[in-house]
Amino acid sequence: MSKIIACYKWVADEADIRINPDQSVDITKAKGKISDYDKNAIEAAVEAAGKLGGQAVTLTFGNAGAKPSIKDALSRGPEEAYWVKAAEADQADGAVTARALAAAIQKIGDSSLVICAEGASDTYARQIAPRIGAILNLPVISSVIIMTFEGNSLVATRKLEDSLETVKVELPAVVAVLPEANNPPLPGLKAVMAAGKKPLTEYSAADLGIDFKPRNQVVAVKGYVMNRKNIIFDAGDSVSRVKELAAALRKEGVL
Amino acid sequence: MSGIYVYSDRLEIAAELIGFAKSGGQAAYALCFSQAEADQLASRGADKVIYLKGDSPLPENYGKALADYLKEQDAELLVVGATARGRDMAARVAGYLDCGMVSDVAALDYSNGQLNTERIIYGGAVVQSETISGFCVVTVAGGKFSPVSGQAEIKTVAVQADPRVTLVETAPITKEGVDLKQAASVVCVGLGLEKEADLKMARDLADVLNAELGCTRGISEERHWLPVEQYIGISGAVIKPQLYISMGVSGQIQHIFGVRDAQFIVAIDSNEKAPIFKFADYGIVGDMYEIIPLLTETLKA
Ligand SMILES: Cc1cc2nc3c(=O)[nH]c(=O)nc-3n(C[C@H](O)[C@H](O)[C@H](O)COP(=O)(O)OP(=O)(O)OC[C@H]3O[C@@H](n4cnc5c(N)ncnc54)[C@H](O)[C@@H]3O)c2cc1C
Ligand SMILES: Nc1ncnc2c1ncn2[C@@H]1O[C@H](COP(=O)(O)O)[C@@H](O)[C@H]1O
Repeated sequence: MSKIIACYKWVADEADIRINPDQSVDITKAKGKISDYDKNAIEAAVEAAGKLGGQAVTLTFGNAGAKPSIKDALSRGPEEAYWVKAAEADQADGAVTARALAAAIQKIGDSSLVICAEGASDTYARQIAPRIGAILNLPVISSVIIMTFEGNSLVATRKLEDSLETVKVELPAVVAVLPEANNPPLPGLKAVMAAGKKPLTEYSAADLGIDFKPRNQVVAVKGYVMNRKNIIFDAGDSVSRVKELAAALRKEGVL
Repeated sequence: MSGIYVYSDRLEIAAELIGFAKSGGQAAYALCFSQAEADQLASRGADKVIYLKGDSPLPENYGKALADYLKEQDAELLVVGATARGRDMAARVAGYLDCGMVSDVAALDYSNGQLNTERIIYGGAVVQSETISGFCVVTVAGGKFSPVSGQAEIKTVAVQADPRVTLVETAPITKEGVDLKQAASVVCVGLGLEKEADLKMARDLADVLNAELGCTRGISEERHWLPVEQYIGISGAVIKPQLYISMGVSGQIQHIFGVRDAQFIVAIDSNEKAPIFKFADYGIVGDMYEIIPLLTETLKA
């Protein structure tokens, strides 16, 4: 059966990133999560499979730490998971990531639709879907908010800065969805239980023959620090706190 | 023709990118996909305007043609305006040519065939510096460079557009929001607001402060309570007011990215652990339904 492949990335939660006073970045304590908008990509695949027929599956390219993502992703409805498991994912740039995903998509075989989110919550580079399309020579539609299907065609509405553009394509195709495309529900207990029993296929770098050489060279990573006054008015009742705030703002000359 | 090639679906950004290319002394070639764009670009100071002519109204359908053309010309660098279309086309070219690309750079420098860039990652928490040698692609938002002027010859090159994606219809989005970038003060509402009618509370405060009303992404994209022009952050408006006052905004980094350059940040939130307080100059931990009307009254007096 033809597959609808949702690509998601397992990323460090940016809310847990600690910036040291010397602006060095400590990411070691950050929990992993499915990149926020990739949940919309997964939901879009599940919804598309319902309308188009076929099987929604997930695909991720990540190191061994991405393990917990599999069950999480499958609890959101897809039937099978694919994982390109490679330590090199840590150093991957857009070129490498797209090559890895494209190679896996080819290996998976018969697919009618590949769905990415517009941007990952770490890179927010908004590159991967068009790159995959180019590598596999598939048509690409980005910035998608609405998808409808007519036979084997996809009619998609794109949200651009100042217009809504509706386009049509014969499948297979690659799509990047905006978070406005849908509202992914929280997985229920039953779905979480069922996820553990769904099949997972792992690919190694050797299985796919991927060229892992990044094109971009990262030369520095620096935390952003913002120095603010951090004055919290917490003494007394609400009325007196508000008075203190108003007085402070008057003193700063911003009122 | 070796040199820097620039493209944007927005004329103003294209003109700025030509300005960038010229500032380093390199030849600047402006790319476009329609005669109308070519005519407009002709006075914007490029060394040449290159009109890739095919039969599709969708610029994206020229991704492959553009990649082939750049390769054939031995282009050094492709600089693209970071709009929805621009990012898409840039990444397609990078995909076809399997080359490096840096998206939405905050800073860039191109010299001796090497591109050095800075961009933010993790929603704004981290700045990453990268270098790439050899042909590569970069996208840049508008407003970073000064446009130049000067007449350029238009060279028309017939190319094959990808016929697979066809245009069904296009409908303009009418902008209903205000331009927050110019506002001296901004009152910002977040998802802590319980219902749409409660926006009045925020509007009342904004009126007293002579401020514009802004919001977080969820308020406009999910709940549709305010126009999308009014949401602030990495994917919305980046503002520089003297005063920014938030209510019911948790202060996730993607939102904070948009208010970093505010002179004073004031936060009202019921959760004392909300990250917004780390980014605030002044704050009150409390229920905004109690604090905001009090603040409005106090400021009126
Ligand atoms: C790639 C990416 C890009 C993004 N871009 C943007 C962007 O450009 N702009 C943006 O805004 N977001 C953006 N986001 C989303 C962002 O991560 C946050 O989810 C969002 O900013 C949270 O909005 P919020 O603060 O309104 O809501 P919440 O995080 O839900 O916070 C609501 C707050 O209201 C408080 N509250 C509740 N009731 C009350 C009350 N009665 N009184 C006082 N306080 C109360 C709560 O304590 C809480 O702190 C992006 C996310 C990603 C992944
Ligand atoms: N390592 C990865 N594994 C699977 N999908 C990915 C990966 N990296 C990026 N993607 C997909 O591509 C989208 C855009 O990523 P980016 O271009 O990096 O912003 C993400 O939202 C995912 O849908």
